[in-house]
Amino acid sequence: MSASTHSSVLKHHFDNLEQQHSAEKLGMWMFLVTEVLFFSGLFVAYTVYRHFYPAEFAFASSHLVLWIAGVNTALLITSSLTMTLAIRAAQLGKRSDLMRWLVVSFALGAGFMGFKAFEYYTDIHEQFVPGSMFQTEYARAVEHVAHHSAAAGDHGGIQHWAIELAENNKGKDPNSEGYIFPERVQLFLCFYYIMTGIHGIHIIAGLGCIVWLMLLTKCDKIPPQRYATVEIVSLYWHLVDMIWLFLMPLLYLVGTGVKGH
Amino acid sequence: MDAHDHKIEDPPTLHDVDNPAKVFTVYLVVLGLALANIFLFKAGLGPITLPVQMGIATVQAALVAWYWMHLRRKDTIITLTAVTSLFFVFIFYVLVLSDVLTRTGGGL
Amino acid sequence: MSTAYAEPQTIAPVPPEPEAPPRNYLNNGYGILSWLLTVDHKRIGILYLVSLTAFFTVGGIAAGLVRLNLLSPDGAILTEDQYNRMFTAHGVVMLFLFLIPSIPAVMGNFFIPMMIGAKDLAFPKLNLASWYVFMIGAGFMVWAVLAGGIDTGWTLYPPYSSRFSHTNVTPGAFGAFITGFSSIMTGLNIMATIHKMRAPGMTWGRMPLFCWALYATSFIQLLGTPVVAITLVLLMVERVAGVGVFDPAMGGDPLLFQHLFWFYSHPAVYIMIVPGMGVISEIITCFSRKNIFGYKAVAWSSVGIAVVGFLVWSHHMFVAGISYYSALLFSFLTMLVAVPSAIKVFNWTATLYRGSITFQAPMLFTLAFLVLFTVGGVTGLFLATLGTDIHLHDTYFVVAHFHFVMVGGMVLAYMAAIHFWWPKMTGRMYSDFWSRASATVIFVGFFLTFVPQFVLGYHGMPRRYPNYPAEFQVYNILSTAGASILGLGYLMPGIYLTLSLFFGEKAPANPWSATGLEWASPSPPHVFNFEFVPVVKCGPYEYSLNVDQLGRTLPEPPGPMAPNTLKETNGVG
Repeated sequence: MSASTHSSVLKHHFDNLEQQHSAEKLGMWMFLVTEVLFFSGLFVAYTVYRHFYPAEFAFASSHLVLWIAGVNTALLITSSLTMTLAIRAAQLGKRSDLMRWLVVSFALGAGFMGFKAFEYYTDIHEQFVPGSMFQTEYARAVEHVAHHSAAAGDHGGIQHWAIELAENNKGKDPNSEGYIFPERVQLFLCFYYIMTGIHGIHIIAGLGCIVWLMLLTKCDKIPPQRYATVEIVSLYWHLVDMIWLFLMPLLYLVGTGVKGH
Repeated sequence: MDAHDHKIEDPPTLHDVDNPAKVFTVYLVVLGLALANIFLFKAGLGPITLPVQMGIATVQAALVAWYWMHLRRKDTIITLTAVTSLFFVFIFYVLVLSDVLTRTGGGL
Repeated sequence: MSTAYAEPQTIAPVPPEPEAPPRNYLNNGYGILSWLLTVDHKRIGILYLVSLTAFFTVGGIAAGLVRLNLLSPDGAILTEDQYNRMFTAHGVVMLFLFLIPSIPAVMGNFFIPMMIGAKDLAFPKLNLASWYVFMIGAGFMVWAVLAGGIDTGWTLYPPYSSRFSHTNVTPGAFGAFITGFSSIMTGLNIMATIHKMRAPGMTWGRMPLFCWALYATSFIQLLGTPVVAITLVLLMVERVAGVGVFDPAMGGDPLLFQHLFWFYSHPAVYIMIVPGMGVISEIITCFSRKNIFGYKAVAWSSVGIAVVGFLVWSHHMFVAGISYYSALLFSFLTMLVAVPSAIKVFNWTATLYRGSITFQAPMLFTLAFLVLFTVGGVTGLFLATLGTDIHLHDTYFVVAHFHFVMVGGMVLAYMAAIHFWWPKMTGRMYSDFWSRASATVIFVGFFLTFVPQFVLGYHGMPRRYPNYPAEFQVYNILSTAGASILGLGYLMPGIYLTLSLFFGEKAPANPWSATGLEWASPSPPHVFNFEFVPVVKCGPYEYSLNVDQLGRTLPEPPGPMAPNTLKETNGVG
């Protein structure tokens, strides 16, 4: 078995397995470089706007669902752990361990996406989406706040964030300090959706790769000589995790942090 | 290239395999730092909040890269690849901010 | 191998050479699927060659229409809207679908493995995927420009492109986004190959300068392309979702788009030119029969261009509203990037000195490159200087500058590469007379097209304008006349190279008597490039020792006439 799997592991254009593994790992690292630069465009743009509009960014961030972000962070870090253990299982030829770690990693990653979907659902339900949804809700809130006092508990079915924003801006001149521009709040939301959305797409791609590894493992096509295949998927997965570790505080933990959702 | 003289077709020798205890320790530290990040934010650090958050994220990323992505194994080209990407992100940031942060009097 | 023999069909006796193996990469499997599903880097290079020729034609037709329209001060044949779409089409197609892939995707794919003594690139299936990704992206872009067009200019600046333009911005941007991935895949493949698959004895210091140049290019592709990818995504989201990432009305900053866009698009011009510089190094040494002057300087200057090229992008934005301090910084950095390019030109010139020069087509294109690239390069200095740039920005001076470096530089280098490696790729020789003629026609046509544009720009004619003051008409007519000659010059290789496929003499393995490893394989090459493991014995340009990189004696070099005519080798080589 090992002879035939070995001969099919070495590709025809490589001289030996070491060269092949070395090239594959280098290739994946180079791809990770492109991913880092890809996200850095978003991070730079975000930094510029956060520098221009700190108040609006803090306001918007405080109305995101922090607990989901916390859960997702834990899920993702744990899935990185299990992918690292999967490499080890592949190297030692422990097929059932390998399968187990791959399945767990997939489950954790899928859990991340599940919570993300729920989070998006919550945000959309609250009209916390840049564009006409935001503008309509804010306009309703401005109207409501103009005719009702702040102390009254009844918000007329209008979302909490919109009421808060309208209250904050009530009676203020747009050029005065303390005015929070709704357009700039929407700008934050653009970044929120685009950054988490693109990150989510990368998670889904990673989940696809893990499924591919699971299929290979099931067909016993990952002998110890082919551990590098697991390693390169794991490298990609770790990068997606690392991006989230930077993304999370930048999106969810902006401002002084005293006020929660 | 490798200092160890093992046959090419053999499975990786055991020193190339991760120590599960090390892997798990890194996990606990990274997870702990994530929780610390959230709690420190809630505690309200004021203006140093952002640098602290980014510092924590950097430490987390460094641990993941060093132990879980095996930069510890000191393959020169791979380390150079990783460092180069960071260098150019740094350039990108510095040169864009050199414009954005100095736009006090307008442009040409 | 020691007796000459005459084939009845040829005019002159064919010198003895190793019998071409019955199976080479071209006849190893026939049928469309053997090409569309190939993982052979050589066939993929040919796939790119065919596609790129088609796109060059499309971009060239757009250019022709632009120049025809400019014959009259009020626009001769196009409406103003059509004119906007036409110059955008020209820019988009020429840059993304021709210049950026050109040498890396055609000659890089074909020759990097051969030059370093490998059987294929590191990731052959990724290589094939890169061509499909390229074609899908190209499909979107070509559809966008043909079915209605885009009128924003190839630079797609918001908020016009995102909020106000009613043209096919989204599919065009999406197409560019997709082709970017192809660029990344090619660059990644080339870098990994050069790192990991060099033959025994092929150290970094013995690698042909073409490989160094492609390595530097791949470096830029990997680092820069992802940034334009995300920029295009943000632009498309803004346009489709109606949100305001770059829209001032929503708090957005249009200058931020320009920063993100030019962070890639400036290094992109180095993606375009550096491979051409690599080709020049190969040809100038071969046709001077001389080692390169300053191998290390030329090798490291490619890397220098790649690195410093990332530090200068804001010189496209001097008058856009960036801060004074930032503009000063970028002006200084831009001056620096000229240095490694100048180092190359000096070293090439020194290589020519006391060389044994012959003027076959590859060399004519190369010499033309030296002249035109240098002119283009020094005119860049006027644009790098803040004071003069205020007057010259967005005028025809800029247009002339970049056409000098991109067409006079890069396209001529591409032509040189095609003419140099055609015998190896196809196994056929082309007409020596017509190839020299076309190089001459292209050079003359180019000069006539673009020198008047420097004058126009200096006098203030803006770029991208469909009409102009009447006093500029004479220069515009000269420019259009030159463009017609240039078009004719491009048509000529289309004809004689195609004819050579059917009627050209069979090419020997090393018609130019060059030293690279790629010439050690028959023409066309064996399926797996070499029938033996090449062991490299010496550096890449040992013409003075008359040995190739395997340490074997070189064949007789081409004389002033075409190779293989009138010469008998009598057992030498």
